[in-house]
Amino acid sequence: MSQTITIDPVSRIEGHAKITIELDEQKQVRDAHFHITQFRGFEKFCEGRPFTEMPSLMARICGICPVSHLVASAKACDAIMAVRIPETAAKLRRIMNLAQHIQSHALSFFHLSSPDLLLGMDSDPATRNIFGVMQAHPHLALDGIKLRKFGQQIIEWLGGKRIHPAWIVPGGVNEPLTEERRDQILAEIPGAMQIILRTLEWFKEASVKYTDEIRHFANFNTMFFGLVDEGGGLEMYDGVIRIVDAQGNVVADRLDPANYQDFIGEAVEPYSYLKSPYYKNVGYPEGIYRVGPLARLNIASHIGTPLAHKEWEEFRGPNKRVILSSFHYHLARLIEILYGIEMIEKLLNEPDILSDRVRAVAGPNSLEGIGVSEAPRGTLMHHYRIDKHGLITWANLIIATGHNNLAMNKGVLQVAKAYLKGTQPTEGMLNRVEAVIRCYDPCLSCSTHAVGHMPLVLQVRSHDGEILGETARK
Amino acid sequence: MCLAVPGKILSISTEDPVMPMARVSFGGIVKEVNLAYVPTAKIGEYVIVHVGFALSTLDEAEAGRVFKYLESMGELAELEEPSA
Repeated sequence: MSQTITIDPVSRIEGHAKITIELDEQKQVRDAHFHITQFRGFEKFCEGRPFTEMPSLMARICGICPVSHLVASAKACDAIMAVRIPETAAKLRRIMNLAQHIQSHALSFFHLSSPDLLLGMDSDPATRNIFGVMQAHPHLALDGIKLRKFGQQIIEWLGGKRIHPAWIVPGGVNEPLTEERRDQILAEIPGAMQIILRTLEWFKEASVKYTDEIRHFANFNTMFFGLVDEGGGLEMYDGVIRIVDAQGNVVADRLDPANYQDFIGEAVEPYSYLKSPYYKNVGYPEGIYRVGPLARLNIASHIGTPLAHKEWEEFRGPNKRVILSSFHYHLARLIEILYGIEMIEKLLNEPDILSDRVRAVAGPNSLEGIGVSEAPRGTLMHHYRIDKHGLITWANLIIATGHNNLAMNKGVLQVAKAYLKGTQPTEGMLNRVEAVIRCYDPCLSCSTHAVGHMPLVLQVRSHDGEILGETARK
Repeated sequence: MCLAVPGKILSISTEDPVMPMARVSFGGIVKEVNLAYVPTAKIGEYVIVHVGFALSTLDEAEAGRVFKYLESMGELAELEEPSA
């Protein structure tokens, strides 16, 4: 039965993400589903709008990572204009994109995940939040604030004060970087560097305590998917798609992101609005893959900055094995922050960074454009078609949380199998389910809830659909 | 694709100066939101919130623009109800 409903933003504020765990006749966990009510009418909303409006429109609607949408959308517009943007413009876009990664990863690690990591998964939920961290480890909470500010500040300095900077535009960026701004950003680098280095050191030591979680937190075989640069190194802005399997074999390499429809299928499941992308050559649902920080470090053959490369070598180990536990998304985020800081410094010191050639101007020269970049949560794809007047006739977006949809479901199932005893879910169990989802740092439409906690309802159902137990995060 | 809905700051509590909290209204639904990342936010301004943390502030005009988009999307939203 289908039914027409209107998506009212207010109802989404109150909305909860729902998880159902199905038991078999022996009361053992059989299956688990993570239901997300993403907004699906978005593509429809774009139709009839001039393509040049898309970057700022996208950034406005998704204010969680506006810069990521600006970048992917502007790249799709570059393709419609059929221009190659000036080198300096690409470098400036890169800097802003890296700053976005840093600020987003800092929020995820320090303020959403650190309460679990520092205070324990079963600790009192009343204090298992940023305030508890603030009391027990004030320096850490402050480091998080400073590091996020570092990223956010760069975005503001480059784009102007506004949250939705119209600085990244089709064809490049709309203003060159001034010497003063460059030096301002460079002056902040050492402080940010110190924070990330001491956090890495602390977290690597602390991880030893989490062997149990590492084993059960979405620790399974999947493929990993994302962009790499021409030489196979870590890449956030451009490049080619690489897919590796759980053993580290390269399944596909140097795929042109513009051909994504040849290798990605998008399945629709009845339990979720969110589409489930999969790798077509393997089929559905076996074509499951993960994207995001862990995936990027798993597919890369090296990292192009020295300190991050050293951390990456340690992360992957002497045999360059693929890291399977989603618990390691956390460490991967820290390594990417380090890479971001180093790379921003490197780009700012390049001789042409202050060039005033930063924008290519053209009308629509192609009726279709695809823009792909790496957002903090993983590969982001914008695909538009236009009519001859430059108005959007069709749009398709694949967001990082979508790519990870199958893997999140599988992760919830694994945690349920390990931690559900009987039919009544406990708070500690709910928290682990939440924590495994949080490894992926999904952007949820209903993410305005209590500090650091996702709005979740967890139901345990019998084999014939009867609700046996339920617990909710208030 | 998720939507970022701006919320209006109703009041600010600075009991803990490092972790200021605000009461933020999303179309009448009031939530407690952490302002550590936007220490200069003022009552009456709008914030974008992710899992309880305000990420950025918007002035009224900018928030109005976002609401206009959300409104026109609401009118277009004809979705299939997913079965549980």
